[in-house]
Amino acid sequence: MLNLRLLLFSVAFLSPILQIKGDDFKEEMFIKPLPPSHLYVYFQFLTLANGEESFEHSHLAPRSLGEIVSRYQVEELHLTLTEGQWKHNTWGYPVLDAAPGAELYAWFAPDVVDVDTQWKKLSSTLSGLFCASLNFIENMNTVSPKMALWPTGAYSKSHQNITSQLRYASLPREIVCTENLTPWKKLLPCESSHGFSSLLNSRMIHNTNYHSIGVHIRRMCSGSNCLDTSLEIKQTVALVYDFKILNTMDWSLRKLFGQGLPGACPLSSSSRIYVDITSNSSYPFKLLPEPNSIMFSHRGGSKTELAVYEINHSNMMNIGAKYEMRNKIFVNIPPPLTFNRYVLGYGKEFGGIVTELSNNYWAPIDVVLLENAPWWLPIQLSTLRINGEAESKLIMSQYYSPGRSRQKPYHLELLLKLPPKSTTTVTIDFEFVFLKWQEYPPDANHGFYVGSALLSANLPTAKNYTSLPITGSTFDSIVNASKPWYPIVFRTNGGMVSLPTPDFSMPYNVICLACTVVALAFGPLNNICTKEVVLKIIVVPVSLRQKIFNIFKKKKD
Amino acid sequence: MGLLSDPEYGSVKWVKVLKKINFPLCCLCYVGSILWFFTLAHPEFNNETYFSENALLPGLVRNEFNGEHSANKFFNEFIQELEDKYEDSNEMPVDWLVAKMSQLSLEVYTHNFSLNYPFGQGQTYKGTNVYGILRAPRTSSLEALVVTAPYRSLSNHQKGTAAGIALMLAFAQFARPQNYWAKDIIFLITEHEQLGMQAWLEAYHGLQQETSTFYTSLGSFWQTGFDFGKPPQIFEWLMTDHSKSLDPGVLKGRSGSIQAAINLEFHTPKFKYIEVKVEGLNGQLPNLDLVNLAHKLCVLSDIHHSYQNSFTWLRSRNNIDEWVYSIGTMLKMSAAQVTGVPNGNHGLFLPFGIDAITLEGRELNDPAGDPPRAQYLSTRNFYLLGITLERVLRSLNNLLERFHQSYFFYMLAATNRYISIGQYMPSLCLLCGAMLTRALCLWVTIQQDEEIEKRQDEKDKGLKEKKSEEILENTEEKADSEEKEPLIKDVIKPKEDVINTKEDEIKTNEEVVMAKEDEINAKKAAIKAKNDEIETKNGADLNISIVNVGCNYFLVHILGYAANCSPEYFNYIGTTYFDQTPEASIFYGLIALSVFYLFVTPFAFRFPTFEDLSMTNILLLIELATACLAIGMHNFPLGLLIAVLYTPLALLVGVVGDDCRKRSAIVLFLKRILCIILQPLFVVSIALILYSWVLFPEEGVLSKMSRGRDATMQGVMFSVVDSVIYGNWLFQVVTMVIFPTWILFWQILCNRVTY
Repeated sequence: MLNLRLLLFSVAFLSPILQIKGDDFKEEMFIKPLPPSHLYVYFQFLTLANGEESFEHSHLAPRSLGEIVSRYQVEELHLTLTEGQWKHNTWGYPVLDAAPGAELYAWFAPDVVDVDTQWKKLSSTLSGLFCASLNFIENMNTVSPKMALWPTGAYSKSHQNITSQLRYASLPREIVCTENLTPWKKLLPCESSHGFSSLLNSRMIHNTNYHSIGVHIRRMCSGSNCLDTSLEIKQTVALVYDFKILNTMDWSLRKLFGQGLPGACPLSSSSRIYVDITSNSSYPFKLLPEPNSIMFSHRGGSKTELAVYEINHSNMMNIGAKYEMRNKIFVNIPPPLTFNRYVLGYGKEFGGIVTELSNNYWAPIDVVLLENAPWWLPIQLSTLRINGEAESKLIMSQYYSPGRSRQKPYHLELLLKLPPKSTTTVTIDFEFVFLKWQEYPPDANHGFYVGSALLSANLPTAKNYTSLPITGSTFDSIVNASKPWYPIVFRTNGGMVSLPTPDFSMPYNVICLACTVVALAFGPLNNICTKEVVLKIIVVPVSLRQKIFNIFKKKKD
Repeated sequence: MGLLSDPEYGSVKWVKVLKKINFPLCCLCYVGSILWFFTLAHPEFNNETYFSENALLPGLVRNEFNGEHSANKFFNEFIQELEDKYEDSNEMPVDWLVAKMSQLSLEVYTHNFSLNYPFGQGQTYKGTNVYGILRAPRTSSLEALVVTAPYRSLSNHQKGTAAGIALMLAFAQFARPQNYWAKDIIFLITEHEQLGMQAWLEAYHGLQQETSTFYTSLGSFWQTGFDFGKPPQIFEWLMTDHSKSLDPGVLKGRSGSIQAAINLEFHTPKFKYIEVKVEGLNGQLPNLDLVNLAHKLCVLSDIHHSYQNSFTWLRSRNNIDEWVYSIGTMLKMSAAQVTGVPNGNHGLFLPFGIDAITLEGRELNDPAGDPPRAQYLSTRNFYLLGITLERVLRSLNNLLERFHQSYFFYMLAATNRYISIGQYMPSLCLLCGAMLTRALCLWVTIQQDEEIEKRQDEKDKGLKEKKSEEILENTEEKADSEEKEPLIKDVIKPKEDVINTKEDEIKTNEEVVMAKEDEINAKKAAIKAKNDEIETKNGADLNISIVNVGCNYFLVHILGYAANCSPEYFNYIGTTYFDQTPEASIFYGLIALSVFYLFVTPFAFRFPTFEDLSMTNILLLIELATACLAIGMHNFPLGLLIAVLYTPLALLVGVVGDDCRKRSAIVLFLKRILCIILQPLFVVSIALILYSWVLFPEEGVLSKMSRGRDATMQGVMFSVVDSVIYGNWLFQVVTMVIFPTWILFWQILCNRVTY
C-alpha cells in the first residue's frame, strides 16, 4: 500500500515532466471471439520516444532497446517469439502475424556499409536481452527478401535500395517460455505491476493455444510534413484461447488471466480495451460490464463493431462475456486468401514442399511467396512447379538465390497473380543431404524444422482483416480506414523433415568397429584370392671388383 | 591367378578335406539350422523384452479417461444408425461420422479415392475416408499420431469394428479439451479395409495418380530428359501402366509427419482379451518398443492380451510347455510374415516409415479360434480399453524422437519374449552357408579336374625331356611352396611347414654361391616354360564357355521376368477369349506357362559341357544363397522358408553324367521328381491343398482338391493384386528369383553330359 502511494505520488509529480519530454505511452487490448471455439486476445503497448537519438537518457521508452537501435543504426526492427501456429483458415487474420519459433527482421540505416556484421551484432545483443537463441542467426539462415517485406515506418526518400539493408531470419525450433516473457515485460514502463501487463502472468498465457510476444520498432513522422521522425516502440502479445480447454464459452479477464484488471498503468496516456462484437449477431453474447462506447467501422466492404472500455487508473475490474446460445452449428467462411504448406514424400532420398494458395475472392490477388529453405534442404529451381506446370503464366516475377553448403540458405521469391476463386499449388522438391556427424542437433531423430514461408499480399478486401493501417498505431485508426488495398504479411506453417540420421548409439559404434575390422581383413583376403605370385628374377648385386674380375674372366673365355 | 584359381591348390589339404566332408557338412548345417530355429523358442535362448526408449515413460501419468458412458452411447447410436440406414448397403455412414466429429470440435475432412481394378474390365471402386484432426495447442502441427479404425458394414463377413469407432469417438471427446498434447492426433476411419488406408497414406504423402505434382517433379532428379513420344496405337494396350491403379485423391487437411499409429478393431464393447497384431506389409515389423508398449500397458490396465499363440493368462512354470507355446507363436508369426500380407491396417503404415500396431478385441467364438481357458476370463469393457488407449497415446505423446532405439528386426516368442536379429540370423546363415560350401566344393572339383588333365598332359610331354622337366618342377614347386607358406598356414599342418623349411634350408646350404648363375638360368627357363604352359592350357583345357553359360543364365532370368509380367496378359486372354474369371485365367495361365517352361527350358542350354553345367550350378547356388540372405534380412521367415525348401534340392542337384547305370537312373528320377515338386506354383498348390485338408477334414477327396485349387487360385490372385496395389513383393520374389533358380535346377537335372 505504501508502495502504491509512493508510486502515485511520484506519478503525480513526474507526469508534467514527462509531458514536457514528450515520451508517450499507450496500452491497448483487443479481444475478438473467433467462433466457434476460440478467443483472440491481443495486447499492444505503444511507446513513442521523442527524445534525442543517442538514448543516453530515456524516460518511458526502454533504454536498452533504444541503445540497440541507435548503436546498430537500426531503422526498423521486428522481433517475434511465438509458440503455436495461427490458423488462418478458421481464425481469420491476426493483427500481426508471426512465424512459429523466433523471427527477426530489421532494416539498417542507409549509411551502414557492413550490414552483415551489424546484423550479427544486433541478433547477438537481442539474444542476450530476450534470453532467446537469436545468437544462432548467422549468414547460413539469413536472407534479404527482395519483394516480400517492406518497411512500415517512415523511411528516407533519398535512399532507394531498401532491400539491401534488410535482413530476415527465423528460427523455427526456438521454444518460447517464461524466460522470454520476463525480460520482455521489464521493457514496459509499468513493468508487470500495473496496467494491462499485470495480466500477463506466464502461468496462464503459456497455457493458451497460441501465444506470441513481439517487439516492433519503427520510425514515425513527428509532424504532418514529416520533417522529423520519432521512434515508435510497440510491444505486442497475441494469445488465442480455446473454449474447449477453458471448458466454457463464457470468458472473462479473470478466467483468461487468473485475475482481474487492476486498473491502467499510471504512466499511460490512454488505456483502452476493444472487444470485437461483430460476431455478436451470429453468436449472441452479452458483455459485462457495459462498454463505455461502441465504435462502428466500415472498412473495405466489411463492417466491424467494437465495444470500447476506457480503463481508469485505480479500480479493479473484470470484463467478461456471457454467451446466450450454446452448441450452435457454425459454418466457417474462409477468409479471402488461405494457404497451407506441407512436406511431401517419405524415405530419406527426396521430398517436396507444397504450398497451396487459395484465393476465395472474386478478383485476382497478387501475392509474393518467399520460400526460405536451409542449406541442408537443397531446393532446386528446376523442380519448381506451379499447378504442375514448369512454365506458369501466374508467375509475374521471380527471384532465386541458390544456397551454399553451410553458408547460405536457398531463397526463392515468386510474385504470383492468383486467379479468382482458385487454388494454386506451388511445389518444389528437395534432396536430403548427409550432414557431418557433429552437425546433427541433440535428439537427431526428432526431425529437422523447415521454417515458414512468407506470404505477403495486397488484399483487395478488408474481410477478416484486423491489422492497423500503416499510418496508424492505435486501434482508433481502423475506423473507416478504407484503402484501395490492404497490405498484410502472412507466415505459413512450417514443416518437419527427417534427414538421414546415423544411429548415435552403442550398436552404431559396434557396427562401425566391425566394419573397420572387415575392411582391414578384406584386403589380405582379396589379395590371397585374386593375386598371382610371380617369381621375380633376383639380380645379385655385383661389386665393382667382381665386375672387373668378370670382364677378365670373359676375356679369358 | 590367386588362391581360388591356382592350379596347384587342388592338392592342398583343406581342399581334399572339403571334398570329402562337404556333403555331410552341408547336411549338418541344414539340420543345425532347423534345430537352431526351434531352440530359439526356448526361454533360455531368447530374451525378455524391455523399453529401450526412455522418453516413452509408459504408465507414469494418472488416468483421466472417463468416457465409458459416452463410448457406450456412441456405440449404440452408431449401431442404430447402421441398422436404420445402412442395413443392406456397404456404404460408410460418412455424414454421421462427420457430424459427430464436428460436434467434438475436431477439424473434419473427408477423403475420396478410387480404384481402377487392375484385373477387371474397367471396373472402378470408390470409397470415402473420414478423418478428424485434433490440433495440439502451442505446436505448429509438425508431428502427428494416428488413431484409426476400419469401417465394416453390418453385412460384412468379418467382425465389425463398431466398438472401435465408438471408442475412438469417445476418446476424441475426452482428449479434445486436454492441454497436454504435444502432437496432433488424427482420428481416421477408413473404408474398404486396407484399400482405404493405403489410399489415405498415399494421399497424405503426396503420391498421386495424376503425375502432376510430385512424381513429375521428383522425376527431374532421375529422368534423363528423353521423350520417346507417344507410343503407336497398337502398343497402347501393351503399354497401359497398371501400377497406378489406385487413385489416392487429394487430402484437404493435413498435419505434420506421422510418428506412430494405433489401429483399433473392436467388435463389441465386451471383449475377453486383446490381440496385438504387428505383422505388416512384406513382413515388416514395427519398432519393438511400440509392441512392448502395447503389451506392458495392457498388463498395467489389467487387460488380458495375447500375441499369436502366446496368451498371458496361460503362464506355466514348465519350461517345456513354454517352449511348445513359443514354437507355436514363432511359427504363426512366421506364417503371417511369409505371405507379406499385413494382418491389419497397421501394416500399411510401416512402408512409410511409421510404426503402427493393431489392437484387436477378441471374445469367445472368435473366428481366430478360442484359446485354452478363454471362457474363464472375465469380460473387459470400454473403461479399461479407454484407459489403455489413453496410456498408449500419452506415452507416444512423450516421445521426442521417432522410434529408433529398439529393434526393427526381431521375432516374438511370447508377448514378453523376443529374439533379436543377431540371434535368429545364424539359422539362415547356416542354410546359406551349406549352399555356398557346396558351390565352393563344385568349384574346387572343376579346378581339380582341369588340374588332373594338365598333369596328364605334362606326363606325356615329360617322357621326352624328363630330366629338365624335373629341375623345372623342382624349382617351381619350391617357389610355390615359398610363396604359399605365409598364405595357407592355416591349412598346412605345422609339421609340414617344419619339414618344408628344413628342406629349403638344406637346399640353400647345398647350393653355393658359385652355382647361383646356373640357378638363375634355370629359373628363367622355368618361368618361360610355365608361361608357355599356361598359354597352352588356356587355349586347350578350359572348357567353360562364358557366352554359353551367360546367355543361358540371362535367358532364364528373362523367362522369370516374363512370368512376372504375364498375369496381365493371361487375364486379358482368359477374360476375352475363354470367358473366365480373372482368378482362373491367371491361375491356368501360370500353370500353362509352368508346363511350357518345364518342357522347353532344358533345351535352352545348347551343347552343354560338364564345365558349363557345373559353372551354372555354382552360379545358381551363389545366387540362391545370396537371394535367401537378402530376403531374410528384410523378411526373415520368407528367406528362411525359401532356404529350407530349396537347400535340399541345391545339395542334391549335380551335373548328370552320361553313364547310365540303373541305380543312378533311379536316383536321377527321384531327383527330378523332387525338383518338380519344388516348382514354386506346385509348392503353393500342395500347401494350400493340404491346408484345406486340415480345414475341412469331413469333405470328400475331390471336393478337398477343388477347395485347394480354389484357394490356390485366390492366393495367386491376391499376391498378384497385392503386388500391384500395395507393393507386396512376394509375387516378384517368387517369379523373378525363385522361379529362374528352379529353372536352372531343372536344366541341370535334365541335361546329360560326358565327363
